[in-house]
This record gives sequence, structure tokens and C-alpha cells, in this order.
Amino acid sequence: MHSILEMQFGNIYNRFMKKFTLYVGLLFISTSLNAQNPLSINGTIKDASTGEVLIGASTYLLENPQKITLSNGYGFFSITVKAGNYKLVVSSTGYQSDTLSVSLSANLTLEIKLKPAGKELAEVVVSTSRKNDQVTKPLMGVQRLTMKEMNSVPVIFGERDVLKTIQLLPGVKSAGEGNSGFFVRGGAADQNLILLDEATVYNASHLLGFFSAFNSDAIKDVTLYKGAMPAEYGGRLASVVDVKMLDGNNQNFHASGGIGLISSRLNLEGPLKKDKGSFIISGRRTYADVFLGLSRDSSIRDNSLYFYDFNAKANYTLNKKNRLFLSGYFGRDKLGFGRTFGIDYGNSTATFRWNHIFNGRLFMNNSFIYSNYNYNIEISSGVNNLLIKSKIEDLSLKSDFQYFINNDNKFNFGFQITRHLLSPGVVEASATSSFNSRALPMKKAMENAAYINHEYAPFNNFRLNYGLRLTYFALLGPGTFYSYDSSGNVKETIQKNDGSPLVTYINPEPRFSASWLLGPSSSVKASFTRNVQNLHLLSNSAAINPTDIWIPSSNNVRPQIADQASVGYYRNSVDGMYEFFAEAYYKWMQNQVDYRNGAQLRANEQVESQLLFGTGRAYGIEWFLKKRAGLLTGWISYTLARTERKIEGINLGNWYPARQDQTHNLAIVGIYQLNKRWSLSANWVYNTGNAVTFPSGKYRVNGQTAYYYTERNGYRFPDYHRLDLSATLKNKPKKGREGSWTFSLYNAYGRENTFSIEFKDDPTNAERTIAEQTALFRWVPSITYNFKF
Amino acid sequence: MKSLNTLDVISAPDHLLDSAGKKPIYFLLLLILLTGLGCKKVIDVNLNDADPQIVIEGNVLSTPGPYYVQISKTVNYSANNQFPAVTGATVIIRDITAGQSDTLTELPQGRYATKKLNGIEGRTYQLQVITAGKVYSANSKMPAAAQLDSVSFEKISRPGSKTDWYAVINYQDPLGTSNYYLFTLFVNGRKINNTFAYDDRFSDGRYVSRTLRTDSAYINPGDSVRVVMQHMGKEGFDYYSSFSQVTGNGALQTISPANPNSNLSGGALGYFIASYSSTRRTVAK
Repeated sequence: MHSILEMQFGNIYNRFMKKFTLYVGLLFISTSLNAQNPLSINGTIKDASTGEVLIGASTYLLENPQKITLSNGYGFFSITVKAGNYKLVVSSTGYQSDTLSVSLSANLTLEIKLKPAGKELAEVVVSTSRKNDQVTKPLMGVQRLTMKEMNSVPVIFGERDVLKTIQLLPGVKSAGEGNSGFFVRGGAADQNLILLDEATVYNASHLLGFFSAFNSDAIKDVTLYKGAMPAEYGGRLASVVDVKMLDGNNQNFHASGGIGLISSRLNLEGPLKKDKGSFIISGRRTYADVFLGLSRDSSIRDNSLYFYDFNAKANYTLNKKNRLFLSGYFGRDKLGFGRTFGIDYGNSTATFRWNHIFNGRLFMNNSFIYSNYNYNIEISSGVNNLLIKSKIEDLSLKSDFQYFINNDNKFNFGFQITRHLLSPGVVEASATSSFNSRALPMKKAMENAAYINHEYAPFNNFRLNYGLRLTYFALLGPGTFYSYDSSGNVKETIQKNDGSPLVTYINPEPRFSASWLLGPSSSVKASFTRNVQNLHLLSNSAAINPTDIWIPSSNNVRPQIADQASVGYYRNSVDGMYEFFAEAYYKWMQNQVDYRNGAQLRANEQVESQLLFGTGRAYGIEWFLKKRAGLLTGWISYTLARTERKIEGINLGNWYPARQDQTHNLAIVGIYQLNKRWSLSANWVYNTGNAVTFPSGKYRVNGQTAYYYTERNGYRFPDYHRLDLSATLKNKPKKGREGSWTFSLYNAYGRENTFSIEFKDDPTNAERTIAEQTALFRWVPSITYNFKF
Repeated sequence: MKSLNTLDVISAPDHLLDSAGKKPIYFLLLLILLTGLGCKKVIDVNLNDADPQIVIEGNVLSTPGPYYVQISKTVNYSANNQFPAVTGATVIIRDITAGQSDTLTELPQGRYATKKLNGIEGRTYQLQVITAGKVYSANSKMPAAAQLDSVSFEKISRPGSKTDWYAVINYQDPLGTSNYYLFTLFVNGRKINNTFAYDDRFSDGRYVSRTLRTDSAYINPGDSVRVVMQHMGKEGFDYYSSFSQVTGNGALQTISPANPNSNLSGGALGYFIASYSSTRRTVAK
């Protein structure tokens, strides 16, 4: 069957490639002419035991150790060099380095397989080259966490969670207790672009944020860009979290999984054809609601509260130059209270990718991407039956090229075309209901971008990474649109009958970063980045809310723009054991969105009349010290920061701290390998409490106590701190079977951290008012069993 | 067991549409509190003092007068719930449509009463308050008649097989116009402190039946129940819907509480609202 597929694809492919090669050939005709002499060593770097490609593995020639090339997101690397004999060194963290003798007389394509580094107790080797990536590469504000680190850090309910673990990094603030939501460098929650195999995940959380949408069993790599992203990324102001799924083991079939208190997971992977193709399927489901079903009381039994998700991916290598990937995600949450109220929501994404290597130096990836987030609410009360539906749906085509001109010059360029469909709300009511059925008009928008990025090393100690991203956004008809005066009343009604644009925005986004080596393992860097955002999330609740609505830029809502400048100092210890950096940033933000007092954001056709616009600023310094190898590993992260908004109509038009403003944020993470079987980990976090609005006075209206508010976010919750502990016991190794127990304790010393503070009349004394604090989690113990065979 | 009551209340539809999205959060929060992982306690909060502000509550109704204006002041958060009355103010309500003016008589405790004014549908009224050399004013138009039809009851059984009773209001929404309502619930003569402010964005022209969902069960069989419906203009709804976002229903109010939208100029808190009012009384059975 595979061969039929291969043949059919081959035919189509050949016809297509003739035209395409011509086009790309023309594009690079000038450079290829000059590049006759140098030859290319290129190829793919893989894990020898699983066949998974290795991202960010480093390659260099022993003859020229300064020129390090990292493998890209598909494990591909390319080194340009003249004919001759060389020693090629390939290494990647957690793997044994390999040195290959290469006799080069023509272009050479290799498939390099690295063996995982020894057994658990063996010291994790810091690969000689990777130890200095952080120092030499010009990009700033980038952090990668390995899955090994992710899996060792204790988290609530014992559920490993990438989005909770990145909250322990500098510049990242948690959205709340036990929450997977986060804020980066003073940006709002909707200013994070969360990608799963290139597809945008619009609501990256389950159960209102207590779990992230990502099942860590299916994840290979997570990279966080804190604003200073390269030109290939765009669309959000504050950050990109680029999550890449595993490809699946193409050597042997494996099953793994875990059984926990809250949920269970199962992961199956194996070859489609050995060395050529593989698949992986991961699923998980929570089962808290199973216990509800045990109740004899029907009013408890009828409730539901669970989520499930699936990740699936398959890949197939057609030949040395072509590889296909198909990946998908489907997740769903269901919350229901008897027959009176129910909500279900979730994301689904699909990505089809085609990698093509034109020659040793030009790599191409094409992606077709689908993403959907929707929710349905069902309400039933007396005669009132109501169904409310909303969705956002994207369809994208994305092409990315990487052109390795020589070891000092690399170009990345490409384009992306996206069609957004936004259905803000459909209300379906029964004939007897008190409500009218109604559909808020669907909104359609095009968001296109083209980019080019040049990585350039003019000198051995000076490197540049600069580029330009050009974005085009258009809100399309048909539809009825409105413009509003300063108090939110309709000024003009605009009727669009066709699909022509109501409004278009074209924004150039320059990206620039440079690094200057001070010595073999220290450097300074500077960067400037502009980011533009054309989708905006309307949310005025304290937690992540599945019914928050995305709206496009329009005649009223202008694209959000952020300019970020940053400088940093980077230093590694000579042996690569320790890594340190300090980065300072300043960010200006335009067209920030807030809401009128008493705003009606849900199912409101004229929701834009409820918005207020202004500017923002954020600045801070981040320190990070990490110990990367040895029995004890871990890091200390500290951020000193401020973020403020100035919006006409709020706080008398004066600057005020944004809700996510956090002065101090400290995280200490330690992982200790006690012996062959036991490993221990702990983390401690301390941060300034949320900026909140408290009353400064009270009064009586209609016989009831009301509160008088003065400045916005002028108060703070009490400081937040928490210690989490975790211990993992590996079972005695048996042939082909692995098992481990993880015991963890969240909030080990039972700190009652503030979730909310409510002001109300004292029930015991009518003369007084009291402040009542709610704390969510004290001492959450958990136990999880993980297995693999 | 107390939290189970709350669980019932919160998960049931209240402001059906506008608060629909908040329900899952309440739901989960309560579940966490139920499991015993979470906890509540009274804490000390150090709040700033603020200069006393004028608070004006002014109503003109369609029922015969006198109508009252209450003027008081804010106190610091830490003070007792004793709110100083503003006395000696000049308070005038004008019927702008008919060109009449009524200077109100001062009663004890900052209360002022009209002498001759009549609330009539379709007319616009203006309140003017002069105190301590400052002028506060507001306009409000009384909309056309819309009446509360009847009050019935919804009974919801809950764990432990006890049944909660809630009042259900029934009325015809006028078709083709924007209509705004405030409902006030009294049980055995006691006012229930929940703000039920509705618009007809989703129920234009419908015969509307809505359950007045209270924070906890207040109604028992045999109780006498009275509901006042005020049909009011947009300024009234703007005030009461923003008021309801910062009062009542507990821990998950809006993240950025602010003072309710007042139609009073001059920086006073409170409202001046002319409304068409109707009252229905019934016994819970």
C-alpha cells in the first residue's frame, strides 16, 4: 500500500517539481553561479534508537570549529566547504557525540544517527558545541526546555505540563494558581502565539486553565520566544510558544502511558515502514466525573466534568529529498450541571507538511494548516431552552525556505496565507422560549505575511540576525459594519455586500538582533523587534474562560503594535556546566484594548462599541542561572519588571499597572539524581501579588452596601509563594519494560495563596464590612504510575 | 453542606446569556472548595482613605407621588456602616416635557420628597441637586408602559431532596424598541439584595419568563412574594447592569471593578431614573 501511495505521489510530484525547480532555480541563479566551487555536506540528524529527528543538534568541522551549524526543526543541516578531507563532529544534548571522516569531492548527503547518552546515572553530557549556543547565537529572549527537564519538574496533580513549566522561566508570569495560562514580559494572555506543529491553538487549556491542551507524551520540543522572534513568526505581540510533536518511533513498536489520580494517558508509536515512516497516537482523559457517577443522588450523578484529547502524527520519507508529515490534535472539554446547564469546548488542528531538499543548501517546507476552536453552551430553565455556539476557524498555506549560502550566510524566507472565519455567536432558542434565535454575522478576514531573514556572521566574534516581515490584514465583507463615536454610539452603518475588504492594514515588522563575543564563552547582544497583532481576545474575567471571544482588526479596532528593544549579557562556564544570562527589555505597545465599565462582551453584535483603546509600556530585567549537568541540575530565575497601560476612559486617563504587572518573580528549580532508581525534585516560587482594584470607600444605595473605587489596579494581593516536591522511583529494569512511580506534593507547606478577595457585609455584625479571601489549593498530593514497553 | 446549596444556584441559568460564560468557573471553583483543597478566611486588608463623595438616589415612578431623592456620603472602608446624610441641599425635579418644576421638601436623614410632580410615561425629567456650592444633575425619560404580567415559581430539587423555590417573572416585551428592566424581589416584606437588570437584546417582542435566581434559597411555600418591575431607559440599565457586576455573587466578579455608570453629572455616585413601574404580589405555592 505504501508503494502505491509512493508511486502516485511520485507522479504528481515529478510534474510539479519540474515547474517549481525552474522557479526556484531562477530565483537563485546568481548565487548558484558564484557557488560552483564550494560543496555541501548536508543531511538529517536522528536518534539512533527511535529515528526521531533531532532539532538543534550541532554540527561542525574539526578543521573549522568556530563555524557551528544547528539542525533545523526537521533535523536538517547544511555545511558549505571546499573539496577535501574533513572530520565532521555531530552532537546533541543527551546524546553521544559522533565524529565522521568525510572525503568530499561532490555534494554529500548523510543520515546521521546519534546514540542516546548512557544510562540515567551517567552524567548528562553537555555537548561541546551546544554549550555555547546561547552565547553565540544572536537571537535574544529564546528559551528551549528539553522534555527531560519538563518531566522532572513537579506540577500540580502530578500532570506534567509544558505550559506550567515555562512559567518557571524568567519573564513569564502565571495566570493564577495551578493555571496553565501565562503572561510574557507584561503582555496580555492573548498576546501569546501558541503553535502546535505550526497550527495556532486558540485556547491552550483544559478545565478553565488547570491543565494545558498539550499532552506531554506527544511532545518533542518546546521553544519560547519572548518577543524578539525571528521574522518567520508573527501575529502576536508578546511571545511565541512553538510546540513540536514527536514523529513516532520508526524502529520498533512501543506503548507507554501513565495512570494518575486525575487522568490517564496512553501513547502508541511504531514504524509504518522501518527507517522510512512512523506514527504516534497519544490520548488522555480525566476521570474525576467517574466518581460523580457512583453517587446515588441523581442531581450529582447527572453532572459531567471531564476533558480528553488526542494527538496523532504520521510521517513518511519518500526518498532522500522528500518527506511528508501529517499531524493532528483534537481536544474537548465537557462541563455539565444536570440538565440545566452544559458547555463543551475544544480545539482541533491538522497540519500536512511536505519537506523538500532541492540541493544540499536549499531546504523547503510547505504546510497546509487547519485550526478550529469552538464552544457550545446549552441552557435549560423552565420554558427557556437555549443553545449558544461560537467558533474561530483558520485555514493556512505556509511555505518556508532555508537557504544555506555558506557558513557565514543563511537566508530564511517564506510566506503564509491565512483565512480566518470568526463566528462570534449563534443563539438557537425554542419557539416557546423567552429568547429569539439569532446569529451574529460571521466575520471573514485574510491575514497574509511574507518574510525574509538573514543570519550573517561578518566576523568570527560578531553575528547578525536581521529580517523583515510584511503583514497584510483585511477584514472582508459581506456584512454590516459600524463606526462609533467616542462614547460608543453608532455613528455610521456601513453595508458591504461583496467579499471586498472593508479595511486593510499593511505593516512592516523589522526584526534585528546582533551578538558580539567578548571571549570564548561570553557575549553581549542587542535586539530590536516590531510585532503586529490583528486578532484580539475579549476577556474580562479573572480566569481563562472558554467563552472569551476573538475579534479581528477592523475599522474601529486597529492592529496592536509592539516595539521591543533589549540588551543582554551571556556567560557560560568554560566546561559548559553553568549557563547564565541577564536581559533587559523595554517595550512600547500601541492600540491596546480595554473595556468600558459594565461592558457587554458576549453575543453583542456591536461589541466594538464596548472597547477602549490606549497605549502600554513594559520594562524589566531578567536573570537566569542554570546548572546543566551533574547529579544536581536546575535553575534560578529572577525577574524585576513593570507593565502599565494608559487608556482614555480608565483611571482618569493616567498610567495604571496592568493586571499582569508583577514586580518580583523568583523561581528556583532543583532536580537531584539520588541513585539509580530515585530522583528528587523541588521548586519554590515567590512573586508579588496580582495588581487588583480594591475599594477605597463604601456607601449605601437602595439599602445595600456598595463600594467606592478610585484607582485602577492600585492594590496588590498578598505576596505569593509556594514549594512543590516530587520524587520518582524507577522500577527495577526488566527487559523491554520500564515503569516508574512519581509522588508529588503541590504547595508543600500549605500556604494559603490568594485566589480572590471579596468585600461584603459582615454576617455577624451589620455595622462592619469584611474582606474574605479564597485560596484554592493547599497540599495537593498526587501519585502517578508511568510505564513503557 | 452549605457549599452544595451554592453549587446549585450558581450552575443554574441566571442572566442566561451574559453570565453564561462565567458559570463554568464558578462550577470548578466550587468543586475545588467542596473537595476541601481550597479554603476561605477573613483577612485584614489595608485600604486607602478617600475623600467623601456625594451619593444621590433619585426615582420618578409612574405610580402617584411623592417621589423621593436620598442624598448621602461615602465613608472610608474601615468605618462603620453609618453613612452621613446630606442635609440642607436644594433639590429640584423638572418635567421638561411639560415645562413644570418641583422643589423638593427636605425630610429627616437626607431624604427629599416631591410636592406635586406626577410621573407620566413618555416624559423627560431632570434632577438638579445643589449642595455645598456644587451642582449635580441628570435627565431621564420614562419609557412607554410595559407591565409585569404575573409571578410564578420554579422549583428545583437538589441533593438531600430539599426543593428550592425561585420566583419567575412573566411579561410581554414590546416589539421593535429597545427595552430595559429592573426587577426587585421582596420576600415577606424583606428586600432581596440581588440586582436583576435585563435588556431585550435577545428577547425583543417575546413573552418573557425568567427565573429570579438569588444567591441562596429565600423562598419557602407560604411566603408572600412581591416583585416590582421598573421599565426604564438605557441610562437605568447602564447603571444597574454595571452595579450588578460589582456587587453580589461573590468571588468571581469582574476583574476590574469600577463605580457603576451613573447618569449624574458633577461626579456624584448613584442615579436618577424615571421608570414605569408595576407590582405583582403572590403567595408561594
